[in-house]
Amino acid sequence: MRDVETRPRRNEWFIIVAIILVSLPLILGFLLLILSSFSEDMITNLSPNSFRPTIENWINVFQGKLAITGGIRQNILKITFNTLIVALGVSGIVTLISTLAGYSLSRMKFQGRKLMMLLLLMLHAFPGVALIVGVYLFYRLTFPQDPSMVRLYSFFYVVLARAALEIPMSVWLMKGFFDTIPWEFEWSGIIDGASRIKVWRKIMLPLIKPGILAVALFGFLAGWQDLIYVRTFLIDKTLATFIEANIEAEYSHMPLIAAAGTLYLLPTIIFFLTAQQLLLQGYSGGIKG
Amino acid sequence: MMGMVGITLEEITKKFGNFTALNKINLKIEDKEFMALLGPSGSGKSTLLYTIAGIYKPSSGKIYFNGKDVTETPPKDRNVGLVFQNWALYPHMRVFKNIAFPLELKKSSRNEIEKKVREVAKMLHIDHLLDRYPWQLSGGQQQRVAIARALVKEPDVLLLDEPLSNLDALLRLEVRAELKRLQKELGITTIYVTHDQAEALAMADRIAIIREGKILQVGDPDEVYYKPMYKFVAGFLGSPPMNFIHAEVEGGNIRIYQSKISVPKQYREIIKRLEITEVLFGFRPHDAEIIRGEREGIKGEVYSFEPLGREQIVTIAVNGDVFVKVFAPEGEHFSFGEKVTIVPNEERIILFDKKTEKALEYFP
Repeated sequence: MRDVETRPRRNEWFIIVAIILVSLPLILGFLLLILSSFSEDMITNLSPNSFRPTIENWINVFQGKLAITGGIRQNILKITFNTLIVALGVSGIVTLISTLAGYSLSRMKFQGRKLMMLLLLMLHAFPGVALIVGVYLFYRLTFPQDPSMVRLYSFFYVVLARAALEIPMSVWLMKGFFDTIPWEFEWSGIIDGASRIKVWRKIMLPLIKPGILAVALFGFLAGWQDLIYVRTFLIDKTLATFIEANIEAEYSHMPLIAAAGTLYLLPTIIFFLTAQQLLLQGYSGGIKG
Repeated sequence: MMGMVGITLEEITKKFGNFTALNKINLKIEDKEFMALLGPSGSGKSTLLYTIAGIYKPSSGKIYFNGKDVTETPPKDRNVGLVFQNWALYPHMRVFKNIAFPLELKKSSRNEIEKKVREVAKMLHIDHLLDRYPWQLSGGQQQRVAIARALVKEPDVLLLDEPLSNLDALLRLEVRAELKRLQKELGITTIYVTHDQAEALAMADRIAIIREGKILQVGDPDEVYYKPMYKFVAGFLGSPPMNFIHAEVEGGNIRIYQSKISVPKQYREIIKRLEITEVLFGFRPHDAEIIRGEREGIKGEVYSFEPLGREQIVTIAVNGDVFVKVFAPEGEHFSFGEKVTIVPNEERIILFDKKTEKALEYFP
């Protein structure tokens, strides 16, 4: 008799094949995109003949040459930088607010706490697109008169608005992380002479590092990938709006757009490959029972 | 230098919603005293400890440290050290940082922190572990770190919440002796919460037995062991617990099923005065002899016997399914179903009122 745990599952290959089959369209899509970015023509017809390797697309992307013939130029580095600002901004605000709010929802008693948690869930269920009219109205109302402030303001506004969409779920996530930490840590800190805010900063936050990382990451990707809010509110371009604007343009050279698309995908791929382990890791030891 | 710190609890009540965790607790803990709060789980003993620490605020009642009302004082200003059952060491800090944490919050100078941490670590024999993380330590070592962290700020009161319950049995015995010694050397007022009666008897100067949020009895180990006020106290202390049998008073005798023994000397007056007819007859397994042949005592049959090395526990069926346990010396042989007579040591017999389960000598 073998142990239940170590018995080789006879149907394992079947499951693996099924998983591959189901995810094949996705894998294929990404693969074609990445390959096309290194090719002279798009390889959408699945024919190996259409793949003629070149890195010209990538050079052109970084030089901002959008069409091979025309003289249209865009500063792609600046666009990437804009994307980064929005992504980091959203990530920072989401992380700060959700760690604070998650802590208070998890650890403090106050009027309307239950209601607030319920509303957060409802807010999360609201699609951002549905809110955009109201958000736009507020955008117009607070729009600065001074023209020199306009671009700065649009960055500020898009970061805040996009972060607001992420916050409900992030707060819930953080509350869950705080809930897992035994009260004794907090009591111990308080007896040792720390204030609540110090306990939060010096004891609780280090204990939920994986949670903070997760929230920061999701916030970053949300900002990086967002199209609708950025397109509506941001005067400058990000990678998403750049690709969107050029994909239908007459002059556009598709393999070049594929290169831009791959660039746009990069953080997602990198983060999920590197952060996987970190997200799963938690602290052990130092507490028993 | 630590000052004199006595603690007075006055009518402490703590409610969680509809549940009354503590019900009008009155207790005085003397300076430098080692007080054990003993009770089963859910009795409110930890709640009482946390109330003294200031983590819980009593629903009503007052707490005094040295005559000063601290009921409204926040925990950090009470100068108490608390060791949690799960130790609650900060996993992201090394041992040194863990112990230094209370001092850093007090904004002590770096030299002072260094000096004090090393001092307390040396006292607890963990000075070679200061660079490690808590998860790199054994259970016993983690516990020492937790005690060190509680002691480093030189608290007026040391509060311990079942600190030994997460250690294995052998280590527990060792730490028990050491902790008692440490408490006396430091001369620090200590309150120790435990559900282990042996721990309480072994370590404490006085024991308060708590059940359902009420203190049943407070006294030194001898007092609560030999003069229990309630059946619950008698049954909770000692292992195996005290035997209790239903009995009836008939004149100068007590009838226990088919057996008759005379009323113990110390109870003759009381029984006459209280005119009691039904009692619970109690005696400890160590305070009786097993006799073969005719003697005044409780008749029964040997049900089982468990040799324990130096002695053996004999279980005797007094009447069908009423059992008592009695210790017998090693070497004595019993057989199943053998007829024997139990002769309890008269002085050690305790009679309880059947209804209130209070020992008769405590009746007014």
